[in-house]
Amino acid sequence: MKGSVGDSGNKQDGSLFGDLSFVVTAAHELKAPLALVRQLSLALEADNISLADREKMIRQIVLTSERALRLTTDLSRSSRLEDSLFDVEPLNPHQICEDVAHELAPLYAARGREIRVATRHRSHLVVANRDLLRRIMLSFGDNALHYAESDTPVELRAVACEGGSKIRLGVRDYGPAVPVDIWRRLESQLGTGTQALHARPGSSGLGLYVAGQFAAAMHGKIGATRHRDGATFFVDLTASTQLSLL
Amino acid sequence: MTKTPMILVVEDDVWLAEQHVRTLRAAGFQAEHVPHALAAIDSVDTKHPAAILLDVFLSGPNAFTLLHELQSHSDLAAIPVILCTNSAEDIAGEDLEAYGITQMLDKTTMKPTDLVAAIKKVLP
Repeated sequence: MKGSVGDSGNKQDGSLFGDLSFVVTAAHELKAPLALVRQLSLALEADNISLADREKMIRQIVLTSERALRLTTDLSRSSRLEDSLFDVEPLNPHQICEDVAHELAPLYAARGREIRVATRHRSHLVVANRDLLRRIMLSFGDNALHYAESDTPVELRAVACEGGSKIRLGVRDYGPAVPVDIWRRLESQLGTGTQALHARPGSSGLGLYVAGQFAAAMHGKIGATRHRDGATFFVDLTASTQLSLL
Repeated sequence: MTKTPMILVVEDDVWLAEQHVRTLRAAGFQAEHVPHALAAIDSVDTKHPAAILLDVFLSGPNAFTLLHELQSHSDLAAIPVILCTNSAEDIAGEDLEAYGITQMLDKTTMKPTDLVAAIKKVLP
């Protein structure tokens, strides 16, 4: 393991949608799922499609639309962060991982991939907002789907770090190593820039940006670790002082 | 008997690639899919495609790495390549001329029939 990055999800200047480049990036990132939905829909008009293919294509349209909608919902949620009050509470990080894996399982299965939660470790509870933390992990999970090799599962895990004062929830994928130059660009942009990471084109630079915003709103930070065989994207949040119920 | 032309689809979106392959096979071509440029380089050597349908932003090396590789071998440089991208508006035609690319499809506006038409246009 090398190239560990602990980047912060810095707060922006509050003009999220006043920033034209942000809008352009958002539009660009939505192009891919919309173009796919359009292509599949056009293809469904043809007469020579088998029933099995037709059902498969409809399922793909639904899952692609849901993924795009997750991104749009995250964008609208992030634009309201500064105005809204949200509760943080002690949460079971392992349960969050289980919930996210369960939610993404149909999308992964349709892509012939597997997502699972790594072996459970005893850890403290994490202080977080359930919805924001769930969205961060969903975003990481969405990204990993497009990068991981098909024969290796994507793993979600929660572990204590920094002497137990923090809880790290991460999504580990296994795939080709990200080239160093691309990784450096990622390091400089993680959570603060909105450019898509073109070496991982299925991944969402915008999704990572929004995840950084959500993490910062909970006084946490996102980061990433480059491995020889993939990457881990993680969020570090404060551990609860409440006794673990795990 | 004329051999059915084989089209290599280089596309990292598996579902879109499946759709391209379905469309090409329905039009009477052979079609095979690879998800990235490195696999495409291997496949060009073993499958000898009649044409390549190439996405631009791929996992790992992008389309231009593959184009450079093709151009560096005289026999491979002759394989027609059609770019298929969401970023057509950002790619200047003159940038493609150096690679001998004459056809570019915009994923956001193309129809399945456009794909078949573009392939037919570049095949001898």
